[in-house]
Amino acid sequence: MAVFVWRGIMKKLLTIILSLLLAVTMTACKTEVKEEEKFVIGICQIETHAALDAATQGFKDALIAEFGEDKLVFIDGNAAGDPATCATICNGFVADGVDMILANSTPALQAAAAATTTIPILGTSVTEYGVALNIENFNGLTGFNVSGTSDLAPLDEQAQMILDIMPDVQVVGILYCSSEANSIYQVKVVKEYLESKKVTVKTFAFADSNDIYLVTGQAIEECDALYIPTDNKAASSAEIIDSVAFPAGVPIFCGEENTCLKCGIVSLAINYYDLGVTTGQMAIKLLKGEVKIEEMPIEYFSNPVKKYNKEICDALGITVPDDFIPIGE
Amino acid sequence: MITLSNLIYRLPGGVAQGLIWGIMALGIYITFRVLNVSDLTVDGSFTTGGAVTIMCILAGVNPILALIISFIVGILTGVVTGLIHTKLKIPAILAGILVQFGLYSINLHIMNMSANVSANPDRFNLLISMRDVPNAILIGIIISIVHIAVLYWYFGTEQGSAIRATGNNNNMALAQGININNMKVIGFGIGNGIVALAGGLMAQYQGFADINMGRGAIVIGLAAIIIGEVVINSIFKKGCSFYTRLTSVIIGGILYYIAMVVILWLRIDSNDLKLFTAIIVTVFLALPNLNVKKGGKQNVKN
Repeated sequence: MAVFVWRGIMKKLLTIILSLLLAVTMTACKTEVKEEEKFVIGICQIETHAALDAATQGFKDALIAEFGEDKLVFIDGNAAGDPATCATICNGFVADGVDMILANSTPALQAAAAATTTIPILGTSVTEYGVALNIENFNGLTGFNVSGTSDLAPLDEQAQMILDIMPDVQVVGILYCSSEANSIYQVKVVKEYLESKKVTVKTFAFADSNDIYLVTGQAIEECDALYIPTDNKAASSAEIIDSVAFPAGVPIFCGEENTCLKCGIVSLAINYYDLGVTTGQMAIKLLKGEVKIEEMPIEYFSNPVKKYNKEICDALGITVPDDFIPIGE
Repeated sequence: MITLSNLIYRLPGGVAQGLIWGIMALGIYITFRVLNVSDLTVDGSFTTGGAVTIMCILAGVNPILALIISFIVGILTGVVTGLIHTKLKIPAILAGILVQFGLYSINLHIMNMSANVSANPDRFNLLISMRDVPNAILIGIIISIVHIAVLYWYFGTEQGSAIRATGNNNNMALAQGININNMKVIGFGIGNGIVALAGGLMAQYQGFADINMGRGAIVIGLAAIIIGEVVINSIFKKGCSFYTRLTSVIIGGILYYIAMVVILWLRIDSNDLKLFTAIIVTVFLALPNLNVKKGGKQNVKN
């Protein structure tokens, strides 16, 4: 009895799936001919996130402004946070024979680089290409089919910013997520810089959004000021950090504008949309055949803007130098 | 771009990844079906395997030896879960969650406190890589066959049979003079050893280990087991041998990834993937039980 019911269900399921497949392929075949002269670009992004989305959007907008929407096909792949899905997505791009891959974030870049040695890969929102791709003595050129933009803000300038605004600071706490490769690198650089200026640095790592509250609580007790690098988890949990640090009156310096908007006082902001646009301009040169990707150095965000969070600065009684502009203006 | 030929070109990549996850699902099969407990250690031990393999390879260890080391470290994680479960009398599901939770920190330490470590396939000799999908499929099949053969042999030995007996009926096994606690610890160990080995394969295939790579491994593994069972139960209606069941797990893993490739090929937003997976697994887990209510005979174990 069960077997018959079972077989019935399976048969129906199979029929539905097959007819769906057929329908989709039929409609798709009709449009395929028109796509011959288009540039096909596969976009692999690790997860949905304000900064990453902005970079992808900037990339698309730059290309659309140059070539027009009907000469471009974007295949969006979002791995929903699973690094292994990046591999599936990039395998798909290679099978499709796309003209270029945009790898948004470190795992996406690694998966793309492992998938192909021939299709040009542009990375964005990747902090350190040398570390991500395990290249020894990295000098800005990968020498193979990978280039792109780095979201590394000038870390020493960020660290100096803390000293400029709080010259008497004794102990700085660095708050970051231990599961983000990018953050760990930034923490190291900022820590070294501050320690060279005789400031005591303590690091506070949280594993996920559940322990941010406790870790931040610990940090504000031990430190005069906090620094948060460009960190996806911290950015998406900035409200929690704010709810702990703001009542305690501990100022937070941020590596990135979105975090600063919610919990920080100042940041040396990287704009991910503009970073995406820069990546898009690199893509235009490549697609036009003006330059080979092997000869294209990694580009950095050229002029980060000094910004401050007016609301929190006013509340904490902190005055910032005149060259800082309020976030949102 | 959504054409049938595209799908066909994309399939080999899905098969290669499916084989790796199928091997991982074999590890979960040992705890979930043979031992009849739910072991949630795997989300952690999969990452442990990946981390150990990549760190070994960076240190110049042969990639096959690196996998064997991962297997041994994976056994240790499973043994810890087993001991917490049997000696401290903590329910298996909770013991697994605890170990998996703790493994996060251990995995970070293994990877030298960085969240993501890469082994560039240009510089290191890797057993399998996305660069060469046909080779990855071949190696995946060979490793699957080795696993199935060894497991088939092992679960026919006295100790293996004792593990199966423990899973079938605790009290009966106890009455036969089997030390069921030891059997459980061994079962957890072997299961997680295989999961870690699969983690090592995955890390080599994608060229890096990431602290998040094991996230959801248990669900993918269960999906593979259940899809495999559905297939096998519709082909062999009167039951089948143990090695056929093991093979079905690998096939389940491949089918799961083919479904994934189809979803991506159809340009369905992959942010919805996890919901789809959860629904599919729930439906397949529930179907046999629903049949029973209608008066039919249960055709899937448990």
